[in-house]
Amino acid sequence: MVELSPIEVEALTLSLRVATWAVVGGLPLAMAVAWILARRDFPGKTLVDGLVHLPLVLPPVVVGYTLLVLFGRDGPIGAWLDATLGVTIAFTWQGAALASAVMAFPLMVRAIRLSLEAVDPRLESAARTLGAGRADVFATITLPLTGPGLLTAAILGFARSLGEFGATITFVANIPGETRTLPLAIYSLIQTPDGERGALRLAVIAVLLALLALAGSEILARRLRRRVAG
Amino acid sequence: MTPWCALARVAAGLAGLCLLASAAGAGTSIHIFAAASTTDAVRAIAARYERGHDTRVRVVVAASSTIAKQIAAGAPADIYLSANVAWMDWLEDRGEIVPASRTVLLRNRLVVVAPEGGRELDALAELPAYLGDRRLAMGDPAHVPAGIYARDALRGLDLWSALKPRTAFASDVRAALELVAQREAAAGMVYATDARISDGVGVVAEVPQRHHAPIRYPVAIVDGRDRPAVRRVFRYLRGSEAAEIWREHGFVRADGT
Repeated sequence: MVELSPIEVEALTLSLRVATWAVVGGLPLAMAVAWILARRDFPGKTLVDGLVHLPLVLPPVVVGYTLLVLFGRDGPIGAWLDATLGVTIAFTWQGAALASAVMAFPLMVRAIRLSLEAVDPRLESAARTLGAGRADVFATITLPLTGPGLLTAAILGFARSLGEFGATITFVANIPGETRTLPLAIYSLIQTPDGERGALRLAVIAVLLALLALAGSEILARRLRRRVAG
Repeated sequence: MTPWCALARVAAGLAGLCLLASAAGAGTSIHIFAAASTTDAVRAIAARYERGHDTRVRVVVAASSTIAKQIAAGAPADIYLSANVAWMDWLEDRGEIVPASRTVLLRNRLVVVAPEGGRELDALAELPAYLGDRRLAMGDPAHVPAGIYARDALRGLDLWSALKPRTAFASDVRAALELVAQREAAAGMVYATDARISDGVGVVAEVPQRHHAPIRYPVAIVDGRDRPAVRRVFRYLRGSEAAEIWREHGFVRADGT
């Protein structure tokens, strides 16, 4: 077993924490947006769809800078958060999670939307005719049937968050132990003389983490398919 | 188990990991935002300070310009160490530092480096020929202090117009150093202190100092951060124990020692 150095452990646990919170925070919102896009028609839907997909096509540095302008100390949202709740987002790990969530958002919405569109609306109508309320139908029919989609969204979002670099370094900088996630730590090491070995070690950790997550998701997905089918 | 439960389980597992992750690290923590060229020295000084004090000293390094912008945007910096006067002025003009704390800490000089084993230059005028069809690595002169000094020096020597199309701009001086160490650039303009820390490069020429602003490293406490724990670290950076480490890394202190 290879011993991890404290710095490696720091970067690894921070990355996991950031990615987890990006998914935990982003998934419910992604679900809501996906549901609206899949089930509702309204003027400006194309525009909303485009906005949701922006982080996918924009350079990450633009996303990071936009977040800094909005959530920074002097930004409209950042100043308000600071004044009312005493909360700072920029240059914190929570900010890193926000940046990751924004970057992963389109991927999560797409995955959920696809599985929502695959749910047979007649099942939902049937439940309604049997007296179930809207919330009931959502909780007992729609949600379970979109389970695999949600799982895919969570895995994609998690993976995208683990790899997030551009928006993160722009929005929350590269503070060791606070915002220096795995990709940022690798970046720092390749700019350090004789840091190549350390960078390689972290790269190997990143690969192992990715493989582990993929294997885990595969096992879960198989189980889920069996539950849904059975 | 319903799909929902499966998801909940994964979430719970991950949340557990997070708790584990957040349990580590507490106590006073001081952030030094320092010019990339001071990376190793500041880290060594921070480590030495931590050994004798119950304080965590975190060192954040990037180009002086990058960290100045981050401080202006509200980054949690307590102390700012810049590789030029201009970026310190920029922060001071914005009221982001404590003016009374500001002082010049270090001096440095610029050299031309090449991958280890490179031939020494007789004069800088040889540089275009020396590069052949390859590039000269330097900090981006739009904002990186090392790049600004280098551009001004080359301008003064009437070499800038010939060399400008042959440059490879890097995001900070250490990135420029790394381009040379990796043999991707034929030569680079970095500080003498950078040249010392990399085994992969050697100094092939000194850069005359008369064409660029004197290379000075001002240091200051960030506005709103002036508290005893910060002052202690600030004093330590300028003290005799740190002086030893600055010297080991090739820096000359402002008073010439």
